[in-house]
Amino acid sequence: MILIRAGLRNLVRHPWQAVLTVLGVALGVAVVTAVDLANETAQRAFKIAAETVAGRATHQIVGGPTGLPEELYRQIRVGHHFRGCAPVVSADVRVAGRSGTTLQLVGLDPFAEPPLRSFSSRFANGDVLATLLTRPGSVLLASGTAGQLGLKIGDRFRIQLSGTTPEVLLAGLLEAPDPTTRLGLESLLVTDVASAQELTGRLGRLSRIDLVIPEGAAGARLLKELRSLLPPEATLLPAGARAGSLEQMTRAFRLNLTALSLLALVVGMFLIYNTMVFSVIRRRRLIGLLRALGVTRREVLVQLLCEALLVGLAGTLAGLALGSLLGQELTRLVTRTINDLYFVVEVRSVPVMSQTLVKGALLGVLATLAAALPPALEATGAPPRAVLGRSFLEARSRRLMPYALISGTLVLLVGVLLLSVEAWGIAGSFAGLFALIVGYALLVPAGVVLLARALRPVLGGLFGMIGRMAARGVLVSLSRTGVAAAALVVAVSATIGVGIMVGSFRLTVTSWLESWLRADLYLTSAVEADARRRPPLPPALVERLSRIPGALTSVTRRVTLTTPQGPVELFAAQVPKSTFVSYRFKEGSPQAAWDSFSRGDALLISEPYAYRHRLHRGDRVTLPTRTGPLSFPVAGVFYDYGSDQGIVMMSRPGYLRFWEDPGVDGMGFYATPGTTRERLAQEIRTRVGNERVRLVSNAELRQSTVAIFDRTFAITGVLRILTMIVAFVGILSALMAMQVERARELAVLRALGLTPGQVWGVVTGETLLIGLAAGLLSLPLGILQALVLIFVVNLRSFGWTMDPYLDPKLLVQAVLLSLGAALLAGIYPSLKIARLSPALALKEEE
Amino acid sequence: MRRLVTVIVVVVLVAGALWTLRHRFEPAPAAGGMSVSQALGGVPQAGFARAVVPRPFRFPADHGPHPEYKTEWWYFTGTLADKTGRRFGYQLTFFRMALAPQEPPRTSRWATNQAFMAHFALTDVAGRHFYSAERFSRAALGLAGAEAVPFQVSLEDWSARETGVTPWSLRLRAADGSGALDLELASAKPVVLNGERGLSRKGPEPGNASYYYSIPRLDTRGTLSVGGERYQVTGTSWLDREWSTSALSGDQAGWDWFALHLDDGRDLMYYQLRKKDGSADPFSAGTLVAADGSATRLSRDQVRLVPNGWWSSPHGAARYPAGWRLRVPGEGIDVQVVPWLADQELLTSFRYWEGAVAVKGAGGVERGSGYLEMTGYQTGGAAGGR
Repeated sequence: MILIRAGLRNLVRHPWQAVLTVLGVALGVAVVTAVDLANETAQRAFKIAAETVAGRATHQIVGGPTGLPEELYRQIRVGHHFRGCAPVVSADVRVAGRSGTTLQLVGLDPFAEPPLRSFSSRFANGDVLATLLTRPGSVLLASGTAGQLGLKIGDRFRIQLSGTTPEVLLAGLLEAPDPTTRLGLESLLVTDVASAQELTGRLGRLSRIDLVIPEGAAGARLLKELRSLLPPEATLLPAGARAGSLEQMTRAFRLNLTALSLLALVVGMFLIYNTMVFSVIRRRRLIGLLRALGVTRREVLVQLLCEALLVGLAGTLAGLALGSLLGQELTRLVTRTINDLYFVVEVRSVPVMSQTLVKGALLGVLATLAAALPPALEATGAPPRAVLGRSFLEARSRRLMPYALISGTLVLLVGVLLLSVEAWGIAGSFAGLFALIVGYALLVPAGVVLLARALRPVLGGLFGMIGRMAARGVLVSLSRTGVAAAALVVAVSATIGVGIMVGSFRLTVTSWLESWLRADLYLTSAVEADARRRPPLPPALVERLSRIPGALTSVTRRVTLTTPQGPVELFAAQVPKSTFVSYRFKEGSPQAAWDSFSRGDALLISEPYAYRHRLHRGDRVTLPTRTGPLSFPVAGVFYDYGSDQGIVMMSRPGYLRFWEDPGVDGMGFYATPGTTRERLAQEIRTRVGNERVRLVSNAELRQSTVAIFDRTFAITGVLRILTMIVAFVGILSALMAMQVERARELAVLRALGLTPGQVWGVVTGETLLIGLAAGLLSLPLGILQALVLIFVVNLRSFGWTMDPYLDPKLLVQAVLLSLGAALLAGIYPSLKIARLSPALALKEEE
Repeated sequence: MRRLVTVIVVVVLVAGALWTLRHRFEPAPAAGGMSVSQALGGVPQAGFARAVVPRPFRFPADHGPHPEYKTEWWYFTGTLADKTGRRFGYQLTFFRMALAPQEPPRTSRWATNQAFMAHFALTDVAGRHFYSAERFSRAALGLAGAEAVPFQVSLEDWSARETGVTPWSLRLRAADGSGALDLELASAKPVVLNGERGLSRKGPEPGNASYYYSIPRLDTRGTLSVGGERYQVTGTSWLDREWSTSALSGDQAGWDWFALHLDDGRDLMYYQLRKKDGSADPFSAGTLVAADGSATRLSRDQVRLVPNGWWSSPHGAARYPAGWRLRVPGEGIDVQVVPWLADQELLTSFRYWEGAVAVKGAGGVERGSGYLEMTGYQTGGAAGGR
């Protein structure tokens, strides 16, 4: 009882400290929870949408860039008597006038559906089916989606598709049989297969054929028979393959986010540890007394851990609530990035996921307990008499310093080892990174001692006795300042590391764009979509624009090929040699590659593609062509930051030869000497006429690309700021606690004649010194982290090489951050001391 | 759950289709306040042709589809036996349903305003096994469709195709699961026009009628597969052809349809439209075809029809007559119509009873065989009527 009262008393006497500790835990838990929620939500939305669309399909037949001939479906169903199949024509569309709403247009044959999809045949009444089949452009939406778009049955609206914006009619609503399907339906625009062909202009073609193949020997035989029916351009895949490979695509991205959120938790843990250390240290005398009175070691330990548990629980609860809120915003950012980089996924609601909450709760409580354990053990482990003496503690912490140095160095070495083995992948690189952080943190107290010693004369010179006292204070209370500084270093360095990494990446991308985008003007269809999903331009328009006097033109086509190993993005381009030679190659050179590339005999692969598939110049890549799989030699590896999955580049003659797809989805125009960009643009606009296309200048395109990049890293920026806030709160609470705890010591100073101003000077000087030391010590760790992120984590996650770029602003910012927090932390205790009469303070503290 | 939903939907769809197709009856409104008549546009849509007055029939053109009418069917039924006398019955039916009266010009080959449904059933008397399946498809891309010359109607790999002109001969093929048939049919009697020169009135309203002809006797031979065994069979088939754009007679509950081959060479078709109160609608009618192919119209007053006990379906809430006593006093017909198997209920989305029957005279002497169809006997809120 006395223990609990003592604990309560402690809380009541230092409410601010309790609040700050709880806040520290809460922020850490919130960040982890929010990121997990965002990741899970986006992934779940995608998975459910994929499953809803795939239905019970076990396999799929997919085709080349232009899909499959519809005749194949009839052949399988009627000719081959296999009825477990259904045709699908799908495309990504946007709802015109609502740039944020992307839907997946899915064209189905309702009569072939019953064995496959649960939603497709659920119509409120038979009229809907008749309308769907007989009214061109009639569609179905999930009722929730229709509500959000403000549409009701019978309304017409426009969708953006294939360079056109056809009008469609909402013929009915899709009613989901269960909540999971409802989620999956939210991003679908269901229509009849005939309407889908007409809307997308893909007459005679299917996107895929879904199959329900029975298991066992009969199924295997059937698969073999079906495979023999396929034209060379078609592939039969297990249904999970596509969803699985798409999930694989975002794995690195999601893992990175999780790691960043864990970084915030590590920072949070340091801060919790720090707070617990203080709460124990401050009560060493009390603990000593209790022990002397006969309270057992165990009882004290339990008491301290219970306190930590309470703090952990309170912080975790607050953190979960905060995390759920934050998760909504992060989900938006994550979804946007996935849409920009990978595939269409729409998230309209963020469900509260119990497993995320459980994860966050466990993490919060366990982290708090883990952080509280060492100081609690330390306090209860010492003999009562020793506990009573403050000097014992300080002496011990100085005595322990060499051990900290040695173990810190060892942990650092482990980190380096982890980072150096490539086979350990992304997880290994993050483990290494965390080892580096922990190892470095162990070295920080020694660093603080060195810095404080070095700065003592400087401070003395500047501020006289007060300055020297402040420096001395840092040294003599190393048990507290060391931990606080380490926490501070970890927090601040994280923001530096991430900051440098993003900055370097951005700069690399900017300079890559300069070499990649050489044309003066670019033309694409006017669909709001990224390069991955652009529909072809009208052939007649391409023809008109190909022969503009005074201009060189390039034509490009970007398609996704489905291979058994997952989707491969193929970029077919016809570019002038002058542009080609400016491409930056990692392996090979544009000059050497030009001949075989331009003939279509060889292809180029981007750096991430080479990294992912362990390919080099001279190796061969097998692609599914119109006439079946063909293997092509790799003429070179070029730098490309447009896709982390990597792309394969082929010249247009080769593409036409092997894929027989004359489509063009982008054109570039190079003004030749004697004509100006303005005149060229004018000429193009004249020739475009009424076609809906988008003509952008080089600068605009670069700008929009960089804008997408910035959008992609918005989430990283948010996480960095969150980590900074955690750090700031932590520093504030740590330093404040340290000073509040010194109230008696300060009162002695007051009693000795120091003015409140001078006391403020000592206090602020001390916190500033810690802030400065931490800020400075965080710089090497921050830079180290940046290097690891750039050269190990990013390379292993995405296969990108980046030029490291150190923005001095980031370093200054980091030091200012720690100084600012330190300064703020000094204000409250000194004000409090200044207000109290020394005598009272002396009395009160005992 | 998902399955259930699919089933419900298909039921709505098929029920609507079948209702519009076969005969007319008004089921109780479904839970959603929607009746089958609304499903698939049971209320006659403007734009479809109607059967109002007798029309001249022309063959082979009229064997083919009449897409300007909302619904149409090709109804093959037959009783067969192998050399050892093992008896079989079969039903292969193709339904055409127009989803809209007009077809706007469209570019996709999938586009159509016509849909097909087909039912396939086999009765294995000795094996005491009844087997049924159904299919749907759009009439596009060669997935389903019908043509007059040469005649063919098909839904995927179920088909009836002309193989000869005189006598008009057909090949029927269908397979699904453990049942399959491959039969050669040759007409043994000419086309018979039912009703008033082929105009079959189903209610008092003008246009509430169909065009209805039959080929009551087709000699049949071929192979059947049931449960993995193949049987060489011979027997007699019946083809019913009907097309219409139907309207409602609100008080009709269901119907009983008989197509009987009598051993004396006569063939009897009779349908009784049942009112909700259980009485026979005055528009119930039939045709008696003599051995030489000449036809006589039968009206309700000439026919006496009494159920012989009841059979409760083990598959759901339905109770069907277990057999009938059928009398046409003016024609010297007094027979018992006895199902070869009690359970010949089609477990399709829309449940009904249709199966092979024996025709028995006084003292239980067999006097023929044929097919019997019974609908509207659902007792609970089960699938049938919705």
